[in-house]
Order: sequence, then C-alpha cells, then structure tokens
Amino acid sequence: MLTILFPLHAAKPVKIAHGTGVYEPRKPIIHLNMTSQVVTFPRPAVEIQANVTLEEVRVNMAEMKVESKPVELVASVGSCVALCIHDSKNKCGGMAHVMLPKSSIAMQEPLPAKFADTAVPALAKAVRAVSGSGASLYAKIAGGANMFPNMNTLNIGAKNIEAIKAALAANKITLMGEDVGGSHGRRITFNITTGVATVRRFNGATTKL
Amino acid sequence: MNKQIENAPTVTCEKNATGFYTCAADERVDVGILLELGSIGSGHAATSLSEILQQQVLIDIPRINVLPTHQIAEFYGRHDAPTTAVYIRLTDSQCDMLLVFEAAEAKRIAAMMTMAPSIGELDPAMEKSAIQELANIVIGSFLTAISDFTGVPMLPTTPELAEDTFDTIIDSFVIKQAMASNEALVFDTHFRRDGEEASSILMIFPSPQLQELLVQKSKELIETPTGTE
Repeated sequence: MLTILFPLHAAKPVKIAHGTGVYEPRKPIIHLNMTSQVVTFPRPAVEIQANVTLEEVRVNMAEMKVESKPVELVASVGSCVALCIHDSKNKCGGMAHVMLPKSSIAMQEPLPAKFADTAVPALAKAVRAVSGSGASLYAKIAGGANMFPNMNTLNIGAKNIEAIKAALAANKITLMGEDVGGSHGRRITFNITTGVATVRRFNGATTKL
Repeated sequence: MNKQIENAPTVTCEKNATGFYTCAADERVDVGILLELGSIGSGHAATSLSEILQQQVLIDIPRINVLPTHQIAEFYGRHDAPTTAVYIRLTDSQCDMLLVFEAAEAKRIAAMMTMAPSIGELDPAMEKSAIQELANIVIGSFLTAISDFTGVPMLPTTPELAEDTFDTIIDSFVIKQAMASNEALVFDTHFRRDGEEASSILMIFPSPQLQELLVQKSKELIETPTGTE
C-alpha cells in the first residue's frame, strides 16, 4: 500500500535571496507498477511563484526612487521616459521619471530626475550608493511616445529618448532593453529583485524587457 | 521647488490638505479676472453640453490652480484610470484645451448621442466621432463666450481623441508647460450629468501671453466708463 508520511501541499513562506516567495513542494510523480512503488520528486524543489505580488511604489513625474527591498517601481508614461537602472550583482535598482531632454531648456531647479542629461548620472550615483562597490549597472528605458501625433506639436518624446541614450553612452551604462516611441501610453513595472521591466499598454499588450 | 513658489512675487501659496500648493484666486487680480472669464466660458459650455444630451448638467465651481508642472498629474490623482480625452488647441498655439472623460462615461455619452440601443452595440468609430464632435461643440462655445466678451479672436483646431490612462494623456501637456516655466496655471471645471457619479473635466492651459492679453482686454472693459467710447 502506498503511504506518504509528509503533507504534500503545505505551502510555507521561506526567505529566498532578496525576497519572500512561497515554498511549495511540487506534486510528486507517483509511478505505480505492479511490482514496485516509486515516489520521485521533480527538480527544482524550490521556485519563486510568478504570482507573488510585491508592493508597488509609484514614481511620479520628476521623481527618482532607489530601492534594495523587493518591491516593484511603477510609472505611467506618455511622452515622459521611465529610466530603470538595475544592479544585477547586488539585486537593487532605481527608476527615474524623466520629463525633458535638457536641463538648459527650463530654469534650473533641484530636481535632477526631471531632465535626461542630469537624471542618468544622478540615478546611477544613487544606485551605486545603495549597492556598494562592484556594481555592474545596466539600463532599460520605456516611454517617449507622441500621444497626439496628428496635432503636429513638438515631438518631445523622441528628443527625450535621444537625450537619454546619449547620457547613458556618456556614463558608460549599457542599454539592455527599450520599448519607446509610438502614440500610446505605457505603464512600467520594474521588479527590483529580478531586474525585469514589464511594459503594459492600455490595450492590454505586455512586453518584458 | 516649494521655495521657489513661496518667493514668487504676486502669488501667495498655501499647502492645502492634499499636500499641494494651490493659490487662492482672490490674492492675485489677474487670476481673479481669468477665473471670471473661465466661469463665463464654462457656463456656456455646460449649457451646450446639456442641450446636446437633453439632460441636466451640473458644473463645479471653476478653479485656477498654479501648480509646479511636475505635480499636475499627481494633483488630479487619477493615475491609471481609463480615460478618453479630446485635445483641441488654438491655431496660434497659445492655449491647450482638454476635455477628459472617464472611458466608461464617454461610451455612455456616445451611445446616447448616436442612439445606439446599448453600449455593447456601439461602433468604436462612431463613438470616437461623437465624442470629438461633443468636445468641438463644448470647447467651441467656451471659446466663443470668452472671445465675444474680450474681443480676442480665438480659432480652435480640429479635435483629436486619445484613449489611454489619465497620467499618460496628461503627460504631454505637462511637458509643454514645463518647457516654459517651473509652474503652470491650469484652469479646470468638472461637469457631471445629473444622477451620474462620473465627472468629466474641462482643462485649459493658457500661455502666459494669452493670460496677459485676456486680463488686459478685460481690464479695459471694466475701466471704460459706461456711455463713452
């Protein structure tokens, strides 16, 4: 007779690296032969469930947030650009909600995240300050749309993207992924632990960067 | 940011309960005149909206907020709410106007206008067209009222519609304001159909030049003694 002496589906939370996942033993595969009963467990035994919901932290316009806790940084952008910088080694990162390409366009003010040319060095510096030495930074960007393309107004979105790319190159930060342009808004969810930026459009289409 | 506003010469700002810096209209004559003009315009706009929909339309007291540009989206706090917005500007680019509906409310209004039996049977192209036409009429009557009063000619462009979340739509207007200065003057008024929860917003972003022109023309009107040219 087949007896299994431990509870199979008792999910208990365990600490996994930088986050709290749910440890759930997989369902055992039970081979039943006429001669022998073999119970095997598939590997890996530990996995972080995809549906673990993390706390969402909203990054408003001209704001910059750096986190080392397992949270998701969220920004909704149209012509603005969400600049995400992640340190894959120390599992931390930050996001800046950039509004304008150059700090010389408008009056100077103490909001580095507002302008592309100041946001990149400021965010990189802030992420390095949290992660410590040996940080290996890479960036992901999304946004820069032109919400009303037929109005033939200044396409500031395209200029934002250009300025951010130039600033990233100047600061020697690799651009790992981008979802830019078009005429639709984007909601960016940046997972600090994994470094994955999920871009969702209003029509429901999602892209993972 | 805050310091700059506190030091601004003509506007006295106080932090209100929601944590934003807004300015009482009475403290600056210019703002008071603009607010009065806005009231005249939004009265006419609400009347035309009511006539189209054959329904009672309620309007809130119009407000003028002088806000740091990056706080405008946060001020409305609608973040990811599905939104249908129509953008119209003056042909001389002196003023951006935006009529903002909640997406579901826009569908209901369009269904009423096109006499669709239900929202499910509403043709998306017809919805878009109906809402654009509605915005054209509402903003047109707003501008006509102000133009008639001050004598400043105002020609609107054709409307353009966008369906997206609130923050992403407001984004491009905020950027345009941010390019000129660190704080922006936003006129807004909320419309609500009788018996409905959803409120629609008429938002106006006049350029500093237009603000000055309107104030100047209005002052001329006020100061001219009656009976003389």
